[in-house]
Amino acid sequence: MKALSILRAAERIAIVAIFLIMVALYFLNVVGRQFGGSMASNLAWIEEAVRLMSLFLVFLAIGLALEKGRHVGVHTWRDRIAAKTRLPVRRIIDAVGVIFSLYLAWLGYQMTIFVHSMGQISPTLNMPIFWMYLAPTAGFILLALRYGLSFFGLIDRYSAQDKE
Amino acid sequence: MLLAIVVATAVILLVLGFEMLLVLGVPALMVKEFFYGTLPDPVAVQKIVGGINHSTLLAIPFFILAAELMGGGQISARLTGMASAFLGHFRGGPGYTTIGGSLAFGSVSGSAPATVAAMGRMVYPDLRAKGFSDKFSLGLIASAAETSLLLPPSITLIIYGWMTGTSVAKLFIAGIVPGLVLALSFAILVAIEARRNGIEGGERTSWRERLRAVSRATWALGMPLIILGGIYTGYFTPTEAAAVSVVYAIFVETVIFRSLNLRKLIDITERAALSTAIIFILLALGGLLSYFVTLAQVPSHILTFIETVNAGPIVFLIIINVVFLVVGMFVDPNSALLILVPPLYPVAMALGIDPVHFGVIVTLNITIGMITPPFGLDLFVAASTLSKPVMVIISGIGPFIAANLATLLVITYVPPVSTFLPNLLVG
Repeated sequence: MKALSILRAAERIAIVAIFLIMVALYFLNVVGRQFGGSMASNLAWIEEAVRLMSLFLVFLAIGLALEKGRHVGVHTWRDRIAAKTRLPVRRIIDAVGVIFSLYLAWLGYQMTIFVHSMGQISPTLNMPIFWMYLAPTAGFILLALRYGLSFFGLIDRYSAQDKE
Repeated sequence: MLLAIVVATAVILLVLGFEMLLVLGVPALMVKEFFYGTLPDPVAVQKIVGGINHSTLLAIPFFILAAELMGGGQISARLTGMASAFLGHFRGGPGYTTIGGSLAFGSVSGSAPATVAAMGRMVYPDLRAKGFSDKFSLGLIASAAETSLLLPPSITLIIYGWMTGTSVAKLFIAGIVPGLVLALSFAILVAIEARRNGIEGGERTSWRERLRAVSRATWALGMPLIILGGIYTGYFTPTEAAAVSVVYAIFVETVIFRSLNLRKLIDITERAALSTAIIFILLALGGLLSYFVTLAQVPSHILTFIETVNAGPIVFLIIINVVFLVVGMFVDPNSALLILVPPLYPVAMALGIDPVHFGVIVTLNITIGMITPPFGLDLFVAASTLSKPVMVIISGIGPFIAANLATLLVITYVPPVSTFLPNLLVG
């Protein structure tokens, strides 16, 4: 499980760093406007950069959020239904989660490849557009991984919810 | 038939306790397969990214981070201290302090769960010490926090504004009076409860001490000033105000109050990032869902139905309230917005309802959903913050739901409560 703790640390570092840089850049943007003129127009890329960063912030955090039991859902009846019907509801959820996330990761990958081949460049940042679609591709893979680990009982994503 | 299968799937996933991202996402993909099979597959990803790639929405992570910083540090405590200095001596004083503190914290945080978490530990011991019952105290803490969703910088209003293209600045100002009306309805409950249980007031605080409390809160008060002052002088967009409020919160908590170090900053940032991801993944999948709602022309079908049964705006608003209340009981606030606003907003517009007024009605409905069992988010946050069983909180929530419904009637049928201020100030 060492690999998982390395991944977890990498995700944490990435989302905290991205988040704080987003704040700093956006703040710089406001300050830059205060001075106006060429300074402000030189900073026009910030808006777009921060939006792109927000995509990575969100998608790099969804796997971690699942592992910590933070995603919202109605858990009130889940275990009672499982007990009554003897269905392994938690594992069914995990299995559907894996399939759903992998499918979206696959679509994201296709979109990334397609946009990459078109060579589109963003208007102010001059960055290739495909980066935008790389974020959900990576994010849904991380999410699929957590659903998968939970399916095989390698992580316990439900204990945080049991305390509710 | 196929549509029935999709809806049934959504309901089954919801009841079985699937994550909301699957409850929204799986049916959306089914709709695509069943009805729009010719659309290229990657369109789904385009709509998902499009659902969150927007400047207005950037205000949400920033305001969440600012709220976490203030809740974990001194700002929320000092705002509550100020409320207590002015309200504490009344009969049932801690009850009013809870409401006042929630209003003050709500006007800088925009998130009801953050407000519950920040206020809960601070006011609960005092409420109990002065003689309020356990269930009333808990109910009050969970409910008073709802005001934060009506006051600027409400995250719910930001999402509604982005979904419908309504000015967020206008929505922010429109929520203020309804937020105060809601607070007033809770204050009436506190007064009744205090009288019934013979709860005495505390010592009147001297003006000298009050001034001290205000001066202790001066830096904390800078926060609403930045948010409201910045937006309404036209100096900041809501998103810019949000970013500035984060920098301000970090500055005040580290330099002035010395309550924040690097370790804590990293932990708080991570927590805020996860909270952001949870909301945004729903917005992203909601983007996909609302695309299909538009393609299927759901709004025009609803409008035709409303016209055939000859219902006007008044009946429509009753239906809106009932639908939102029922959905809000089971679904989290953001999902409720994402599911219901795309099909219903165009109908409301066709019936001539003011978009700002409609936004406030929707938001108030959603806040009620946050305290109604079985899935009121605030109930669970209050339970986990104060380590109390959810059932105790639920047992005391009834009167607060009633106060909420009374407020909802006023807000729904007296539009100027919501529209007067924005029309006056923003035009």
